[in-house]
Amino acid sequence: MFEDLGKILTSSEYMGYIWQGFGTTLLVTLIAVLIGLVLGFIVAIIKIAALNSKWMKIPAFICSIYTTVIRGTPVALQLFLMVFSILAFPGFKPVAAILTFGINSGAYVSENIRAGIMSVDKGQMEAGRSLGIPWTYTMVKIIFPQAIKNVVPAIGNEMISLLKETSIIGWVGSTVGTLTFDLNAASGIIALGLGGAYLAPSIIVGCFYLVVVYAMVLLIKLVEGRLRKSDRR
Amino acid sequence: MIAVKNLYKNFGKTNVLKAVSTTVEKGEKVVIIGPSGGGKSTLLRCMNLLETPTYGEVWVEDKLLTPVDPYLHPEIIRLSSTYKRMTEGGATDEEVIAEIKKNDLLRRFEGRDYASAIRTYQKQNTLDVNLARRKIGMVFQHFNLFNNKTVLDNLTLAPITLKLKSKAEAEEQAYALLKRIGLEDKAKVYPSTLSGGQKQRIAIVRALAMKPDYMLFDEPTSALDPEMVGEVLSLIKELAASGMTMVIVTHEMGFAREVASRVLFMADGVITEEGAPEELFENPKTERLKDFFSKVL
Repeated sequence: MFEDLGKILTSSEYMGYIWQGFGTTLLVTLIAVLIGLVLGFIVAIIKIAALNSKWMKIPAFICSIYTTVIRGTPVALQLFLMVFSILAFPGFKPVAAILTFGINSGAYVSENIRAGIMSVDKGQMEAGRSLGIPWTYTMVKIIFPQAIKNVVPAIGNEMISLLKETSIIGWVGSTVGTLTFDLNAASGIIALGLGGAYLAPSIIVGCFYLVVVYAMVLLIKLVEGRLRKSDRR
Repeated sequence: MIAVKNLYKNFGKTNVLKAVSTTVEKGEKVVIIGPSGGGKSTLLRCMNLLETPTYGEVWVEDKLLTPVDPYLHPEIIRLSSTYKRMTEGGATDEEVIAEIKKNDLLRRFEGRDYASAIRTYQKQNTLDVNLARRKIGMVFQHFNLFNNKTVLDNLTLAPITLKLKSKAEAEEQAYALLKRIGLEDKAKVYPSTLSGGQKQRIAIVRALAMKPDYMLFDEPTSALDPEMVGEVLSLIKELAASGMTMVIVTHEMGFAREVASRVLFMADGVITEEGAPEELFENPKTERLKDFFSKVL
Protein backbone atom coordinates (compact mmCIF):
# COMPACT_ATOMS: atom_id res chain seq x y z
CA MET A 1 0.00 0.00 0.00
CA PHE A 2 2.83 2.41 0.87
CA GLU A 3 4.32 1.63 -2.47
CA ASP A 4 1.06 2.64 -4.14
CA LEU A 5 0.93 5.85 -2.10
CA GLY A 6 4.39 6.72 -3.29
CA LYS A 7 3.47 5.96 -6.88
CA ILE A 8 0.47 8.24 -6.79
CA LEU A 9 2.20 11.12 -5.03
CA THR A 10 5.10 11.07 -7.45
CA SER A 11 3.07 10.63 -10.60
CA SER A 12 2.13 13.94 -12.18
CA GLU A 13 -0.62 12.21 -14.17
CA TYR A 14 -2.29 10.82 -11.04
CA MET A 15 -1.86 14.01 -9.05
CA GLY A 16 -3.30 15.89 -12.02
CA TYR A 17 -6.46 13.77 -11.77
CA ILE A 18 -6.65 14.41 -8.07
CA TRP A 19 -6.27 18.18 -8.34
CA GLN A 20 -8.80 18.26 -11.10
CA GLY A 21 -11.23 16.18 -9.06
CA PHE A 22 -10.57 18.40 -6.08
CA GLY A 23 -11.55 21.47 -8.10
CA THR A 24 -14.72 19.77 -9.27
CA THR A 25 -15.69 18.69 -5.76
CA LEU A 26 -15.21 22.21 -4.43
CA LEU A 27 -17.10 23.84 -7.27
CA VAL A 28 -19.99 21.38 -7.20
CA THR A 29 -20.29 21.72 -3.42
CA LEU A 30 -20.11 25.49 -3.53
CA ILE A 31 -22.83 25.84 -6.14
CA ALA A 32 -25.00 23.21 -4.44
CA VAL A 33 -24.59 24.96 -1.09
CA LEU A 34 -25.68 28.27 -2.60
CA ILE A 35 -28.69 26.70 -4.30
CA GLY A 36 -29.50 24.86 -1.08
CA LEU A 37 -29.31 28.00 1.05
CA VAL A 38 -31.53 30.05 -1.25
CA LEU A 39 -34.04 27.24 -1.73
CA GLY A 40 -34.00 26.28 1.94
CA PHE A 41 -34.52 29.88 3.01
CA ILE A 42 -37.48 30.36 0.67
CA VAL A 43 -39.11 27.09 1.73
CA ALA A 44 -38.61 27.87 5.42
CA ILE A 45 -40.14 31.33 4.99
CA ILE A 46 -43.15 29.93 3.19
CA LYS A 47 -43.71 27.35 5.92
CA ILE A 48 -43.36 29.94 8.69
CA ALA A 49 -45.53 32.47 6.85
CA ALA A 50 -48.29 29.87 6.63
CA LEU A 51 -48.63 30.14 10.41
CA ASN A 52 -49.59 33.79 10.00
CA SER A 53 -51.40 33.94 6.68
CA LYS A 54 -53.96 31.60 5.21
CA TRP A 55 -52.81 32.52 1.68
CA MET A 56 -49.56 30.67 2.27
CA LYS A 57 -51.25 27.43 3.29
CA ILE A 58 -51.19 25.87 -0.19
CA PRO A 59 -47.60 26.89 -1.02
CA ALA A 60 -46.62 25.57 2.41
CA PHE A 61 -48.30 22.26 1.64
CA ILE A 62 -46.33 21.99 -1.61
CA CYS A 63 -43.16 22.80 0.33
CA SER A 64 -43.83 20.07 2.83
CA ILE A 65 -44.28 17.56 0.01
CA TYR A 66 -40.90 18.71 -1.27
CA THR A 67 -39.12 18.25 2.05
CA THR A 68 -40.83 14.92 2.69
CA VAL A 69 -39.95 13.44 -0.71
CA ILE A 70 -36.39 14.78 -0.80
CA ARG A 71 -35.55 13.77 2.76
CA GLY A 72 -37.39 10.50 2.39
CA THR A 73 -35.56 9.13 -0.65
CA PRO A 74 -31.86 8.33 -1.25
CA VAL A 75 -29.87 11.06 -2.95
CA ALA A 76 -28.57 8.51 -5.46
CA LEU A 77 -32.12 7.88 -6.67
CA GLN A 78 -32.69 11.62 -6.99
CA LEU A 79 -29.46 11.94 -8.94
CA PHE A 80 -30.38 9.19 -11.40
CA LEU A 81 -33.89 10.53 -11.85
CA MET A 82 -32.66 14.03 -12.56
CA VAL A 83 -29.78 13.08 -14.86
CA PHE A 84 -31.39 10.25 -16.80
CA SER A 85 -35.02 11.23 -16.93
CA ILE A 86 -36.17 14.66 -15.72
CA LEU A 87 -33.28 16.70 -17.11
CA ALA A 88 -31.90 14.19 -19.60
CA PHE A 89 -30.84 16.73 -22.23
CA PRO A 90 -27.60 16.22 -24.12
CA GLY A 91 -24.66 17.90 -22.42
CA PHE A 92 -26.78 18.78 -19.44
CA LYS A 93 -25.46 16.09 -17.14
CA PRO A 94 -23.25 18.21 -14.84
CA VAL A 95 -25.92 20.89 -14.46
CA ALA A 96 -28.55 18.31 -13.62
CA ALA A 97 -26.23 16.68 -11.10
CA ILE A 98 -25.37 19.96 -9.38
CA LEU A 99 -29.04 20.93 -9.30
CA THR A 100 -29.85 17.61 -7.65
CA PHE A 101 -27.43 18.26 -4.83
CA GLY A 102 -28.71 21.83 -4.44
CA ILE A 103 -32.34 20.71 -4.33
CA ASN A 104 -31.45 17.91 -1.94
CA SER A 105 -29.58 20.26 0.37
CA GLY A 106 -32.41 22.80 0.23
CA ALA A 107 -34.80 20.37 1.91
CA TYR A 108 -32.47 19.87 4.87
CA VAL A 109 -31.50 23.53 5.08
CA SER A 110 -35.15 24.58 5.09
CA GLU A 111 -35.84 22.40 8.10
CA ASN A 112 -32.76 23.76 9.87
CA ILE A 113 -33.82 27.34 9.23
CA ARG A 114 -37.39 26.62 10.24
CA ALA A 115 -36.22 25.04 13.47
CA GLY A 116 -34.01 28.09 14.08
CA ILE A 117 -36.91 30.48 13.61
CA MET A 118 -39.19 28.39 15.82
CA SER A 119 -36.53 28.30 18.54
CA VAL A 120 -36.65 32.08 19.00
CA ASP A 121 -38.78 32.92 22.04
CA LYS A 122 -42.41 33.56 21.09
CA GLY A 123 -42.31 36.66 23.27
CA GLN A 124 -40.00 38.39 20.80
CA MET A 125 -42.64 38.31 18.08
CA GLU A 126 -45.35 39.29 20.56
CA ALA A 127 -43.31 42.26 21.75
CA GLY A 128 -42.84 43.47 18.18
CA ARG A 129 -46.47 43.00 17.28
CA SER A 130 -47.68 44.66 20.50
CA LEU A 131 -45.81 47.81 19.45
CA GLY A 132 -47.71 47.83 16.17
CA ILE A 133 -44.80 46.57 14.06
CA PRO A 134 -46.20 44.37 11.27
CA TRP A 135 -45.40 40.65 11.20
CA THR A 136 -42.97 40.88 8.28
CA TYR A 137 -40.90 43.67 9.83
CA THR A 138 -40.73 41.91 13.18
CA MET A 139 -39.63 38.77 11.39
CA VAL A 140 -36.89 40.55 9.46
CA LYS A 141 -35.60 42.84 12.18
CA ILE A 142 -36.02 40.75 15.33
CA ILE A 143 -36.59 37.08 14.65
CA PHE A 144 -34.19 36.36 11.74
CA PRO A 145 -31.11 37.90 13.36
CA GLN A 146 -31.68 35.75 16.44
CA ALA A 147 -32.58 32.65 14.43
CA ILE A 148 -29.40 32.89 12.32
CA LYS A 149 -27.30 32.37 15.43
CA ASN A 150 -29.12 29.15 16.23
CA VAL A 151 -29.03 27.97 12.65
CA VAL A 152 -25.37 28.40 11.74
CA PRO A 153 -24.07 25.21 13.44
CA ALA A 154 -26.77 23.09 11.79
CA ILE A 155 -26.20 24.67 8.37
CA GLY A 156 -22.46 24.06 8.77
CA ASN A 157 -23.21 20.44 9.49
CA GLU A 158 -25.37 20.25 6.39
CA MET A 159 -22.60 21.81 4.26
CA ILE A 160 -20.15 19.23 5.50
CA SER A 161 -22.40 16.30 4.68
CA LEU A 162 -23.18 17.84 1.32
CA LEU A 163 -19.46 18.01 0.51
CA LYS A 164 -19.20 14.28 1.01
CA GLU A 165 -22.52 13.50 -0.64
CA THR A 166 -21.23 15.00 -3.87
CA SER A 167 -18.81 12.07 -4.05
CA ILE A 168 -21.50 10.06 -5.81
CA ILE A 169 -21.63 12.49 -8.71
CA GLY A 170 -19.39 10.14 -10.71
CA TRP A 171 -22.05 7.42 -10.57
CA VAL A 172 -23.83 8.97 -13.52
CA GLY A 173 -20.65 8.49 -15.56
CA SER A 174 -17.66 10.73 -15.31
CA THR A 175 -15.34 11.83 -18.07
CA VAL A 176 -12.03 13.44 -17.22
CA GLY A 177 -12.28 17.18 -17.69
CA THR A 178 -16.02 17.52 -17.08
CA LEU A 179 -17.91 18.65 -14.01
CA THR A 180 -18.81 15.11 -13.04
CA PHE A 181 -15.16 14.13 -12.54
CA ASP A 182 -14.73 14.74 -8.82
CA LEU A 183 -12.28 13.53 -6.18
CA ASN A 184 -13.95 10.16 -5.88
CA ALA A 185 -13.94 9.65 -9.62
CA ALA A 186 -10.24 10.56 -9.67
CA SER A 187 -9.64 7.96 -7.00
CA GLY A 188 -11.43 5.38 -9.15
CA ILE A 189 -9.47 6.10 -12.29
CA ILE A 190 -6.17 5.96 -10.37
CA ALA A 191 -7.16 2.67 -8.77
CA LEU A 192 -7.78 1.19 -12.20
CA GLY A 193 -4.39 2.45 -13.33
CA LEU A 194 -2.79 0.73 -10.35
CA GLY A 195 -4.47 -2.53 -11.23
CA GLY A 196 -7.43 -2.35 -8.85
CA ALA A 197 -5.68 -1.03 -5.72
CA TYR A 198 -8.41 1.15 -4.28
CA LEU A 199 -7.05 1.70 -0.79
CA ALA A 200 -4.16 4.08 -1.50
CA PRO A 201 -6.01 6.52 -3.77
CA SER A 202 -8.98 6.49 -1.40
CA ILE A 203 -6.76 7.46 1.51
CA ILE A 204 -5.21 10.35 -0.40
CA VAL A 205 -8.64 11.54 -1.54
CA GLY A 206 -9.87 11.15 2.04
CA CYS A 207 -7.13 13.52 3.22
CA PHE A 208 -8.34 16.11 0.73
CA TYR A 209 -11.88 15.81 2.08
CA LEU A 210 -10.61 16.07 5.63
CA VAL A 211 -8.70 19.27 4.92
CA VAL A 212 -11.72 20.87 3.27
CA VAL A 213 -13.99 19.85 6.14
CA TYR A 214 -11.55 21.25 8.65
CA ALA A 215 -11.42 24.53 6.76
CA MET A 216 -15.21 24.61 6.77
CA VAL A 217 -15.31 23.99 10.51
CA LEU A 218 -12.97 26.94 11.09
CA LEU A 219 -15.11 29.13 8.87
CA ILE A 220 -18.28 28.16 10.72
CA LYS A 221 -16.63 28.92 14.05
CA LEU A 222 -15.62 32.34 12.78
CA VAL A 223 -19.15 33.14 11.63
CA GLU A 224 -20.62 31.86 14.89
CA GLY A 225 -18.24 33.98 16.94
CA ARG A 226 -19.23 37.09 15.01
CA LEU A 227 -22.93 36.43 15.43
CA ARG A 228 -22.65 35.82 19.16
CA LYS A 229 -21.47 39.37 19.75
CA SER A 230 -24.73 40.59 21.27
CA ASP A 231 -24.71 37.74 23.80
CA ARG A 232 -21.38 38.61 25.31
CA ARG A 233 -21.55 42.35 25.75
CA MET B 1 -62.07 53.37 25.95
CA ILE B 2 -61.40 49.68 25.36
CA ALA B 3 -64.55 47.59 25.34
CA VAL B 4 -64.77 43.82 25.18
CA LYS B 5 -68.18 42.44 24.36
CA ASN B 6 -69.30 38.91 25.08
CA LEU B 7 -65.81 37.50 24.69
CA TYR B 8 -65.25 33.77 24.41
CA LYS B 9 -61.89 32.13 24.04
CA ASN B 10 -61.52 28.41 23.53
CA PHE B 11 -58.20 26.61 23.44
CA GLY B 12 -59.23 23.31 21.95
CA LYS B 13 -61.96 22.07 24.27
CA THR B 14 -61.09 24.30 27.22
CA ASN B 15 -63.11 27.48 27.55
CA VAL B 16 -60.75 30.04 28.97
CA LEU B 17 -63.12 32.99 28.65
CA LYS B 18 -66.88 32.66 28.86
CA ALA B 19 -68.97 35.63 27.78
CA VAL B 20 -66.74 38.27 29.34
CA SER B 21 -67.85 41.86 28.85
CA THR B 22 -66.30 44.96 30.34
CA THR B 23 -65.38 48.48 29.36
CA VAL B 24 -62.21 50.29 30.36
CA GLU B 25 -62.90 54.01 30.28
CA LYS B 26 -60.27 56.69 29.65
CA GLY B 27 -58.21 57.34 32.77
CA GLU B 28 -59.36 54.21 34.55
CA LYS B 29 -56.88 51.88 36.23
CA VAL B 30 -58.39 48.46 36.06
CA VAL B 31 -56.63 45.71 37.98
CA ILE B 32 -57.49 42.10 37.24
CA ILE B 33 -56.87 39.61 40.04
CA GLY B 34 -57.74 35.96 40.42
CA PRO B 35 -56.39 32.42 40.56
CA SER B 36 -54.06 31.06 37.88
CA GLY B 37 -55.83 29.68 34.87
CA GLY B 38 -58.82 31.91 35.50
CA GLY B 39 -58.44 33.75 32.20
CA LYS B 40 -56.86 37.01 33.44
CA SER B 41 -53.96 37.07 31.00
CA THR B 42 -56.08 35.79 28.14
CA LEU B 43 -58.56 38.62 28.64
CA LEU B 44 -55.73 41.14 28.71
CA ARG B 45 -54.13 39.66 25.59
CA CYS B 46 -57.46 39.78 23.79
CA MET B 47 -57.57 43.54 24.32
CA ASN B 48 -54.75 44.08 21.82
CA LEU B 49 -55.55 40.94 19.87
CA LEU B 50 -52.38 39.06 20.73
CA GLU B 51 -54.96 36.40 21.39
CA THR B 52 -57.80 36.13 18.88
CA PRO B 53 -61.13 35.65 20.64
CA THR B 54 -63.26 32.73 19.48
CA TYR B 55 -66.44 34.79 19.71
CA GLY B 56 -67.16 38.34 20.74
CA GLU B 57 -65.85 41.73 19.80
CA VAL B 58 -63.10 44.03 20.99
CA TRP B 59 -63.58 47.76 20.47
CA VAL B 60 -61.06 50.53 20.93
CA GLU B 61 -62.72 53.94 20.98
CA ASP B 62 -65.31 53.57 18.23
CA LYS B 63 -63.30 51.10 16.18
CA LEU B 64 -63.68 47.36 15.92
CA LEU B 65 -60.53 45.20 16.11
CA THR B 66 -62.04 41.73 15.80
CA PRO B 67 -64.27 40.44 13.01
CA VAL B 68 -67.95 41.22 13.51
CA ASP B 69 -69.71 38.85 15.86
CA PRO B 70 -73.19 38.59 14.32
CA TYR B 71 -74.69 37.37 17.60
CA LEU B 72 -74.15 40.85 19.02
CA HIS B 73 -76.12 42.50 16.20
CA PRO B 74 -79.84 41.62 16.01
CA GLU B 75 -80.15 43.69 12.82
CA ILE B 76 -77.63 41.36 11.15
CA ILE B 77 -79.27 38.22 12.56
CA ARG B 78 -82.56 39.39 11.00
CA LEU B 79 -80.98 39.16 7.54
CA SER B 80 -79.91 35.54 7.96
CA SER B 81 -81.75 32.76 6.19
CA THR B 82 -82.00 30.88 9.49
CA TYR B 83 -83.93 33.82 10.98
CA LYS B 84 -86.19 34.03 7.94
CA ARG B 85 -86.91 30.34 8.03
CA MET B 86 -87.71 30.42 11.75
CA THR B 87 -90.00 33.47 11.58
CA GLU B 88 -91.94 31.87 8.73
CA GLY B 89 -92.93 29.23 11.25
CA GLY B 90 -94.85 31.96 13.11
CA ALA B 91 -92.44 32.67 15.99
CA THR B 92 -91.96 36.29 17.09
CA ASP B 93 -88.83 38.29 16.41
CA GLU B 94 -87.67 38.24 20.03
CA GLU B 95 -88.17 34.52 20.43
CA VAL B 96 -86.27 33.71 17.26
CA ILE B 97 -83.33 35.94 18.08
CA ALA B 98 -83.12 34.54 21.60
CA GLU B 99 -83.30 31.01 20.21
CA ILE B 100 -80.56 31.68 17.63
CA LYS B 101 -78.26 33.23 20.22
CA LYS B 102 -78.88 30.50 22.74
CA ASN B 103 -78.27 27.57 20.42
CA ASP B 104 -75.59 29.08 18.18
CA LEU B 105 -77.74 28.54 15.10
CA LEU B 106 -76.01 30.86 12.62
CA ARG B 107 -74.15 28.97 9.91
CA ARG B 108 -71.20 30.02 7.83
CA PHE B 109 -73.37 30.89 4.86
CA GLU B 110 -76.62 32.67 5.61
CA GLY B 111 -77.50 34.24 2.31
CA ARG B 112 -76.32 37.24 0.34
CA ASP B 113 -77.99 39.98 2.43
CA TYR B 114 -76.43 38.66 5.60
CA ALA B 115 -72.97 38.41 4.06
CA SER B 116 -73.09 41.90 2.60
CA ALA B 117 -74.39 43.34 5.89
CA ILE B 118 -71.39 41.85 7.66
CA ARG B 119 -69.02 43.15 5.01
CA THR B 120 -70.48 46.65 5.16
CA TYR B 121 -70.37 46.74 8.94
CA GLN B 122 -66.80 45.52 8.90
CA LYS B 123 -65.75 48.09 6.33
CA GLN B 124 -67.31 50.95 8.29
CA ASN B 125 -65.97 50.05 11.69
CA THR B 126 -62.81 47.97 11.50
CA LEU B 127 -59.46 49.44 12.39
CA ASP B 128 -56.24 47.73 11.30
CA VAL B 129 -54.88 45.92 14.31
CA ASN B 130 -51.35 47.26 13.77
CA LEU B 131 -52.66 50.82 13.98
CA ALA B 132 -54.64 50.01 17.11
CA ARG B 133 -51.63 48.44 18.79
CA ARG B 134 -49.62 51.64 18.35
CA LYS B 135 -51.98 53.19 20.86
CA ILE B 136 -52.04 50.22 23.25
CA GLY B 137 -48.72 49.61 24.99
CA MET B 138 -48.08 46.20 26.46
CA VAL B 139 -45.71 45.03 29.18
CA PHE B 140 -45.03 41.31 29.49
CA GLN B 141 -44.23 39.03 32.39
CA HIS B 142 -40.94 38.03 30.79
CA PHE B 143 -40.03 41.55 29.59
CA ASN B 144 -39.51 40.43 25.97
CA LEU B 145 -36.88 43.03 25.21
CA PHE B 146 -35.42 42.49 21.75
CA ASN B 147 -32.31 40.43 22.56
CA ASN B 148 -30.47 41.33 19.38
CA LYS B 149 -30.85 45.07 19.89
CA THR B 150 -29.23 47.47 22.30
CA VAL B 151 -31.41 49.18 24.88
CA LEU B 152 -31.42 52.32 22.75
CA ASP B 153 -32.46 50.36 19.64
CA ASN B 154 -35.18 48.64 21.67
CA LEU B 155 -36.66 52.05 22.42
CA THR B 156 -36.29 53.48 18.94
CA LEU B 157 -37.12 50.47 16.75
CA ALA B 158 -40.89 50.87 16.64
CA PRO B 159 -41.04 54.68 16.15
CA ILE B 160 -38.41 54.50 13.41
CA THR B 161 -39.74 51.40 11.65
CA LEU B 162 -43.26 52.78 11.62
CA LYS B 163 -41.91 56.11 10.34
CA LEU B 164 -43.41 58.05 13.22
CA LYS B 165 -40.13 59.72 14.09
CA SER B 166 -36.76 60.39 12.51
CA LYS B 167 -33.79 58.54 13.96
CA ALA B 168 -32.58 61.66 15.77
CA GLU B 169 -36.00 62.42 17.26
CA ALA B 170 -36.50 58.83 18.34
CA GLU B 171 -33.10 58.73 20.03
CA GLU B 172 -33.67 62.01 21.76
CA GLN B 173 -36.95 60.67 23.11
CA ALA B 174 -35.30 57.39 24.08
CA TYR B 175 -32.63 59.20 26.13
CA ALA B 176 -35.31 61.29 27.83
CA LEU B 177 -37.22 58.12 28.74
CA LEU B 178 -34.07 56.39 29.99
CA LYS B 179 -33.26 59.44 32.06
CA ARG B 180 -36.69 59.26 33.62
CA ILE B 181 -35.92 55.75 34.91
CA GLY B 182 -32.28 56.56 35.67
CA LEU B 183 -30.76 54.15 33.16
CA GLU B 184 -29.18 56.51 30.63
CA ASP B 185 -25.84 54.79 31.07
CA LYS B 186 -27.36 51.54 29.79
CA ALA B 187 -28.33 52.94 26.39
CA LYS B 188 -25.62 51.09 24.47
CA VAL B 189 -25.71 47.73 26.22
CA TYR B 190 -27.59 44.59 25.24
CA PRO B 191 -30.51 43.39 27.39
CA SER B 192 -28.67 40.22 28.48
CA THR B 193 -26.46 42.29 30.79
CA LEU B 194 -29.35 43.88 32.70
CA SER B 195 -31.11 42.82 35.88
CA GLY B 196 -34.76 41.80 35.75
CA GLY B 197 -35.93 45.04 37.30
CA GLN B 198 -33.94 47.08 34.81
CA LYS B 199 -35.27 45.01 31.91
CA GLN B 200 -38.86 45.48 33.01
CA ARG B 201 -38.48 49.23 33.48
CA ILE B 202 -36.94 49.48 30.02
CA ALA B 203 -39.79 47.36 28.63
CA ILE B 204 -42.22 49.85 30.14
CA VAL B 205 -40.52 52.88 28.60
CA ARG B 206 -40.21 51.01 25.30
CA ALA B 207 -44.00 50.87 25.26
CA LEU B 208 -44.15 54.54 26.28
CA ALA B 209 -41.96 55.49 23.32
CA MET B 210 -45.02 54.91 21.14
CA LYS B 211 -46.94 57.49 23.21
CA PRO B 212 -49.77 55.05 23.86
CA ASP B 213 -53.22 56.01 25.16
CA TYR B 214 -53.54 52.71 27.01
CA MET B 215 -51.11 50.41 28.79
CA LEU B 216 -51.65 46.71 29.40
CA PHE B 217 -49.52 45.01 32.06
CA ASP B 218 -49.40 41.22 32.07
CA GLU B 219 -48.07 40.21 35.52
CA PRO B 220 -45.23 42.73 35.27
CA THR B 221 -43.55 41.65 38.51
CA SER B 222 -44.13 37.90 38.52
CA ALA B 223 -40.76 37.02 37.00
CA LEU B 224 -38.75 39.40 39.19
CA ASP B 225 -36.58 38.76 42.22
CA PRO B 226 -38.34 40.16 45.31
CA GLU B 227 -35.92 43.04 45.78
CA MET B 228 -36.65 44.31 42.28
CA VAL B 229 -40.41 44.32 42.50
CA GLY B 230 -40.48 47.71 44.22
CA GLU B 231 -38.68 49.65 41.50
CA VAL B 232 -41.03 48.33 38.81
CA LEU B 233 -44.18 48.92 40.85
CA SER B 234 -43.18 52.46 41.66
CA LEU B 235 -42.68 53.21 37.97
CA ILE B 236 -46.13 51.82 37.23
CA LYS B 237 -47.62 53.90 40.06
CA GLU B 238 -45.93 56.99 38.70
CA LEU B 239 -47.44 56.24 35.33
CA ALA B 240 -50.86 55.75 36.92
CA ALA B 241 -50.56 59.09 38.67
CA SER B 242 -49.82 60.76 35.34
CA GLY B 243 -53.31 59.79 34.17
CA MET B 244 -52.53 56.85 31.89
CA THR B 245 -55.39 54.43 31.23
CA MET B 246 -54.17 51.04 32.39
CA VAL B 247 -55.24 47.43 32.69
CA ILE B 248 -53.04 45.42 35.02
CA VAL B 249 -53.01 41.70 35.69
CA THR B 250 -51.16 41.12 38.95
CA HIS B 251 -50.74 38.95 42.01
CA GLU B 252 -49.51 41.89 44.12
CA MET B 253 -52.61 42.53 46.23
CA GLY B 254 -51.26 45.55 48.09
CA PHE B 255 -50.33 47.18 44.82
CA ALA B 256 -53.70 46.29 43.28
CA ARG B 257 -55.49 47.96 46.14
CA GLU B 258 -53.36 51.05 46.00
CA VAL B 259 -53.34 51.72 42.28
CA ALA B 260 -56.70 50.41 41.09
CA SER B 261 -59.76 52.51 40.39
CA ARG B 262 -61.65 49.29 39.71
CA VAL B 263 -60.78 45.70 40.49
CA LEU B 264 -62.00 42.72 38.46
CA PHE B 265 -61.89 39.30 40.06
CA MET B 266 -61.71 36.61 37.42
CA ALA B 267 -62.13 32.91 38.06
CA ASP B 268 -63.04 30.05 35.72
CA GLY B 269 -63.23 32.33 32.71
CA VAL B 270 -65.80 34.79 34.04
CA ILE B 271 -65.65 38.09 35.91
CA THR B 272 -66.98 36.78 39.19
CA GLU B 273 -66.92 40.06 41.05
CA GLU B 274 -65.93 43.65 40.34
CA GLY B 275 -65.92 46.95 42.12
CA ALA B 276 -63.88 49.67 43.77
CA PRO B 277 -60.82 48.27 45.54
CA GLU B 278 -61.91 49.22 49.09
CA GLU B 279 -65.28 47.61 48.57
CA LEU B 280 -63.87 44.44 47.05
CA PHE B 281 -61.05 43.97 49.53
CA GLU B 282 -63.11 44.88 52.61
CA ASN B 283 -66.36 43.17 51.71
CA PRO B 284 -65.94 40.37 49.22
CA LYS B 285 -69.40 39.16 48.35
CA THR B 286 -68.86 35.85 46.61
CA GLU B 287 -67.53 32.72 48.26
CA ARG B 288 -65.02 32.34 45.43
CA LEU B 289 -63.40 35.69 46.20
CA LYS B 290 -63.43 35.16 49.98
CA ASP B 291 -61.74 31.84 49.38
CA PHE B 292 -59.17 33.49 47.09
CA PHE B 293 -58.37 36.21 49.64
CA SER B 294 -58.00 33.66 52.40
CA LYS B 295 -55.21 32.09 50.37
CA VAL B 296 -53.34 35.17 49.15
CA LEU B 297 -53.76 37.81 51.88
